Amino acid sequence: MLEVASQPLLLEVNSVVKRFGGVAAVGGLTAHVRQGSVHGLIGPNGAGKTTLINLITGLLHPDEGQIHFAGRHLEKMKPQQIAGLGITRTYQNVRLFSGMSVLEQVMTGCFLERKAGLFSSFLGLPSARNDWKRVREHAMHLLKRVAMDHTADELAETLSYGEQRRIEIARALGSNPRLLLLDEPTAGMNHAEATAVGLLVHELRDAGITILMVEHNMGLVTEFCDSCTVMNFGQLLAEGDPRSCIANPDVQEAYFGRKNDAERIKSLR
Amino acid sequence: MEALFDFWAAYGSTVTFAMANAFFALSTYAVLSTGVLSFTTVTFAAIGGFLAAQMVGQFGLHVYLAFLIAGIGGGLGAAVVASLFLRLESHWMALASLALVLITRVTALNTPGLTGGVNGLVVPVTISQFELFVLLTVTTLVFYRLHNSWYGLASRAVREDAAVASTMGISPYRIQFTAFLISGAVGGLGGAALAFTLQFISPDTYFIGIAFTMIASTVLGGSFHWFGPIVGALIFTALPAAMQAVVPAVEDVAKGVVLILIMVFLPRGLIDPRAIGLRRAAKRRRDIEHEAEKTHA
Repeated sequence: MLEVASQPLLLEVNSVVKRFGGVAAVGGLTAHVRQGSVHGLIGPNGAGKTTLINLITGLLHPDEGQIHFAGRHLEKMKPQQIAGLGITRTYQNVRLFSGMSVLEQVMTGCFLERKAGLFSSFLGLPSARNDWKRVREHAMHLLKRVAMDHTADELAETLSYGEQRRIEIARALGSNPRLLLLDEPTAGMNHAEATAVGLLVHELRDAGITILMVEHNMGLVTEFCDSCTVMNFGQLLAEGDPRSCIANPDVQEAYFGRKNDAERIKSLR
Repeated sequence: MEALFDFWAAYGSTVTFAMANAFFALSTYAVLSTGVLSFTTVTFAAIGGFLAAQMVGQFGLHVYLAFLIAGIGGGLGAAVVASLFLRLESHWMALASLALVLITRVTALNTPGLTGGVNGLVVPVTISQFELFVLLTVTTLVFYRLHNSWYGLASRAVREDAAVASTMGISPYRIQFTAFLISGAVGGLGGAALAFTLQFISPDTYFIGIAFTMIASTVLGGSFHWFGPIVGALIFTALPAAMQAVVPAVEDVAKGVVLILIMVFLPRGLIDPRAIGLRRAAKRRRDIEHEAEKTHA
């Protein structure tokens, strides 16, 4: 395993604020993700984790603060520019394209990988055809990686939820990202499936991709994450080694409630 | 054989109008396939129609050259429209495009030097059905190539979920702008085709009638594959004529009834690639169940 602490920072979130009306979904959050690490993003529902992912990928823009990625400022960039820098993602509620086959989904994810221009692709020039074939093979390879290559020609929406999640990961890998953001990749999966995703995440990290994943399964976080950030009410609760983060009394309280409260509830019964 | 000739004599012009309408339907499809509902095809058709008529009438240019200029004119008009309209949210854009249809007619009425105003323009030249067929085939070929290229894939992604597409490096603005250019060029060609077919055009030629026809054809045929709008235009144009032959009184009602039936029972249109995939998936599931039963028994 890589010595993560010595790696340079790849992503820096600096006092980022995002308000929706009067509510600060993210209220001055600072977080760091080191290159080559699997970084967990945890926190109770409504803590602002998905909002943070949306801010990093440019679907939302922060009201205050900065987001640095490999020395670049992301906060004013458009999503497609950020994707061009090498950040891709999956979604909490799977968002595959309706009406597309599994292979087409992943091919779309490879849009930035293509070398042919839109016009030469339209004309069907030999170079563009070869390029299309190359990208197609790349997409098939990614499908093999998530063990979904046998479904390449099927309509993605006819497959099971867990399968769609894996296809979404393959799609996000299409453009060979440097940073992959996974928003609850194991939601709705059983233990074996979740562990398979954890192992895949480690494989990807060992191939040089930094991963930031939102995850609720604490067992998975301690087993597969190198470091983590805990959020609550849009703010930082703890950051660092997963085990010590989860042992942190504040984190315990945010997730499981106060001990006195539990005793009071007991006495009320 | 004789019956065939009779049929042709009666319905030959219907086929010609169906082909002209196919251009309008394809022009609508061009933007709709990137998630933009726009009636601006009518404006592009007017630009193409009056340009082509003037080029032939005033400057004595060849019909083919007039078509080329109509296409380019429509495309340029589309560039202007797109740079303004793509700032709007989708439903506002649809509304704005409808407003543009009204503006187009008023503008055409008040620029008699270009359009003949209320008196309209007589177009002294016509084209054969075969020439129109060739032009439509070439246009269809363009849509076929687009569908099977990176642009096609990207436009489908933008239509289904523009936000997700953008996080994969696809610029929805660029794709939709390109779609408008294509819509403009094809709309311009359609406008010219209509001008050379009717041989008389006025501001009312390019008005609500076309807007209704192009949307109905696209809904009827389906907007998820380039073949849909062509089939839609053919049926939508031929249907009233056919109905008239059977029951003359219902001609006008028939259009509306068919449209409602299609929207209720085939909301994605007659040509729907997704339905094929769904049917295949259902069949596969049945096969698996059969296998399971067999091994059980």
